[in-house]
Amino acid sequence: MSLRKETVAMIREYARRYPSAQSAIIPALWAVQHEQGYVTAESLAEIATHLELPPSLIESTSSFYSMFLTRPEGRHDVVICVNAPCGLRGADEVLAYCERTLGIRAGQTTQDGAITLRSTPECLGACGGAPMMQVDHRFEENLTSERIDAVFERLRTEPAPHEVVKPKAVAPVKGEKARSGVEGARPRARRTQK
Amino acid sequence: MAVVTDQVTLTVDGQSVTVAKGTLILDAAKKLGIEIPIFCSHPKMEPVAVCRMCLVEVEKMPKLQPACAVYVMDGMVVRTRTEQVQRYQNGVLEFLLANHPLDCPICDKGGECPLQDQTYTYGPGASRYDFPKKHFDKAVPLSDKILLDRERCVLCWRCTRFSAEISGERELALIQRGKDTIIGTFNDQPARSEYQGNWTEICPVGALTSRQYRFISRPWDLDRTATICPGCSMGCNVHADARHNRLGRFQARENLAVDDGWLCDFGRYSFPSFQREGIERPRVRRDGRLEEVSYEEAMAAAAQSLRRAGPATAGWASPAATNEELFLFQRLLREVLATPHLDHGRGRGEAATALEPDDAALPIADLERCDHVLLLGGQAVIDAAPVLHLRLFKSERKGVRVHRVDDARAALEAVPAEAQAVGIVSSLGRKPEVDSLQGKLARKVKGSVRRLLVPDGPNGRGATDLGFGPGRGPGYASLDGKAGRARPDWEAAGVRALYLFEASPLHDFQASGEEREWIQRLETVVLQRPRPSPLDDLAHVILPGRAFVEKAGTVTNMEGRVQRIRPAIDAAVVRDDWKILQGVAQALGADWRYRDPDEVFADLSRAVPAYRADRIGERALWSERA
Ligand code: SF4
Ligand code: SF4
Ligand code: FES
Ligand code: FES
Repeated sequence: MSLRKETVAMIREYARRYPSAQSAIIPALWAVQHEQGYVTAESLAEIATHLELPPSLIESTSSFYSMFLTRPEGRHDVVICVNAPCGLRGADEVLAYCERTLGIRAGQTTQDGAITLRSTPECLGACGGAPMMQVDHRFEENLTSERIDAVFERLRTEPAPHEVVKPKAVAPVKGEKARSGVEGARPRARRTQK
Repeated sequence: MAVVTDQVTLTVDGQSVTVAKGTLILDAAKKLGIEIPIFCSHPKMEPVAVCRMCLVEVEKMPKLQPACAVYVMDGMVVRTRTEQVQRYQNGVLEFLLANHPLDCPICDKGGECPLQDQTYTYGPGASRYDFPKKHFDKAVPLSDKILLDRERCVLCWRCTRFSAEISGERELALIQRGKDTIIGTFNDQPARSEYQGNWTEICPVGALTSRQYRFISRPWDLDRTATICPGCSMGCNVHADARHNRLGRFQARENLAVDDGWLCDFGRYSFPSFQREGIERPRVRRDGRLEEVSYEEAMAAAAQSLRRAGPATAGWASPAATNEELFLFQRLLREVLATPHLDHGRGRGEAATALEPDDAALPIADLERCDHVLLLGGQAVIDAAPVLHLRLFKSERKGVRVHRVDDARAALEAVPAEAQAVGIVSSLGRKPEVDSLQGKLARKVKGSVRRLLVPDGPNGRGATDLGFGPGRGPGYASLDGKAGRARPDWEAAGVRALYLFEASPLHDFQASGEEREWIQRLETVVLQRPRPSPLDDLAHVILPGRAFVEKAGTVTNMEGRVQRIRPAIDAAVVRDDWKILQGVAQALGADWRYRDPDEVFADLSRAVPAYRADRIGERALWSERA
């Protein structure tokens, strides 16, 4: 599935903003993930074409960051930080609570496709509000079971972020397809550790 | 008063050494003969300091420092073998081996593996790691040339840096990160680089290996011969490694002036086409059938038929023949048979256009010192001599502007008048065009304009220098109106006999359909060649000779550098080509008594003084002749 016109325009614009096109890789990846929900090999190649950079460099960058998803996930992305400061403030219990409530393990998506739960040992930069989680790139801090329940409640019904931001540009049918079709998703497991 | 210099003095392990500012601790130590172990550092790449093998103690610095990335300072006190350093070296190696499969017994790198060697020299004897190791698929094909074993990779980034800094193709990249980092190509696509073999040479472990060399040999079982790549006129220096008289691989043999330590895959992996599949005997056609005879009989038969044709003979030589052979063959044709029809290479062009020595030729290494380089013909020129690309890319990284242009007009426009040093790189076949471009540019720009022309074949340049063409004699001597005809015109010129001298499967005669028909009608075809050829069934006399990798002599590369080639495999009773040529000449009544190729070279040198026995390895100096 090739990128939408608007996304391509944005990528080109990012490239213009920096002295080196290489600096535009991460904003470009965000733009793609924003449009499609995840970044396929095909999109990586497209970014490479628009930035006039070798595709290996784009893959190298995108795979370095766990925040770029390589396959369709739930509508909402919930990441629990389990780095030391959050850990000291009970991140493990938070994670366990989320798993129990959602009935899934970290790394999985709920049956209704609403939430993908992940944990990261990467400090998410909000230690002041530990324990915290990142919900679709927004922070929820000072977590308690009530706050978590409230967030999940909201996410069950809310549409995916990109469908909210650009309601006109995204045909809902197309969005559905993107999430359910595994085609184009990059099976990263293929060459990682066995 | 203190004198300000750009030299600094430091001590390494108690010894004092003075080096230029901007020298790495690693190189300062090397100057003292002190070896600091490394993995990621490479003299031709930017330091990245990712492997931590080279840590040393530097006085007044709180932590150990990577010698491969820290520059020397005046008064620096460096220690490379303290207890602390040794503890760290132990630690780094233990870490590197934690997930390493230690499958040395089946690893092609075994015996020449820096990881193996350094573990023995600096590492702990045993590992404390008893968790399960990481596993990856073994021997994943990266392309039809290279296998990647990710379990063995120590993530030194050399291959990825080669891809970024040396070839500029950026095909290999680090993917993912931390303990999950792997080397790979984009989306696992097969690698397409023309320079992949170099990855196997810089990889400090057995992670990247050549498919051609897989399980061929241990390094200590190889017979190593210092020679020249048969691939093209770049003249890259190689080690030809053979085992039991079969070639196992070509490895780079760094010559900074020529190849800068790299080879292309076309040249490197050309060696299988040179494997000798047996020994042949000479044959002579009698009553339509080829019969095996002795060399003496075959040479006599050749002489008899050639004598009949005399000046109606044409001689073709492969541009992979040595200077010595070309000189003798040229004498045989011109002096003994009195024919002017000589040519080499394929098609029309080179031999006919190269009518004077390339006096002002631009040395390959000087490409780096130009400010503008015109690549007239673009990729086609690179394809003819692939390692040129690496030199051009290196030049570009140093700030040289390289213009890839297809025609002379665009070339003229590309270079500004302020240019200081302009280089034109093109194929020898385009010489007339380059001549006129060079003239125009010389009028346009302030600085110098020089050129580097790429002939076809590892000795195409030698062939023109030695007069192996219809238009000029040895050393571009004028033929006083006795010029002959080029290969495409032989039929029209009434040629009745053909003497074909092949020397390499990579640069053979390659008769077109039309040519074959013509050859079929000739009264005499003498074929001197190293391998069975498609022309065998048209030949009247077949004289088995030696291929490029079986010969001794000299060849001249595109910049005019005369380099020695040496036999990497022993062709046993297959006669040396210079001896065959001499034998045929003798059978025709010539009084030649060369005892070895050096004696031929001495004679050649009298005819072409630019070629001097005491300057082998250097560029022939034409202007000194005057
Ligand atoms: S494959 Fe070899 S050269 Fe490349 S990073 Fe791994 S060890 Fe280094
Ligand atoms: S550039 Fe030519 S001489 Fe050099 S390795 Fe390649 S084929 Fe051989
Ligand atoms: S440790 Fe969790 S946000 Fe910093
Ligand atoms: S050689 Fe210095 S860190 Fe690798």
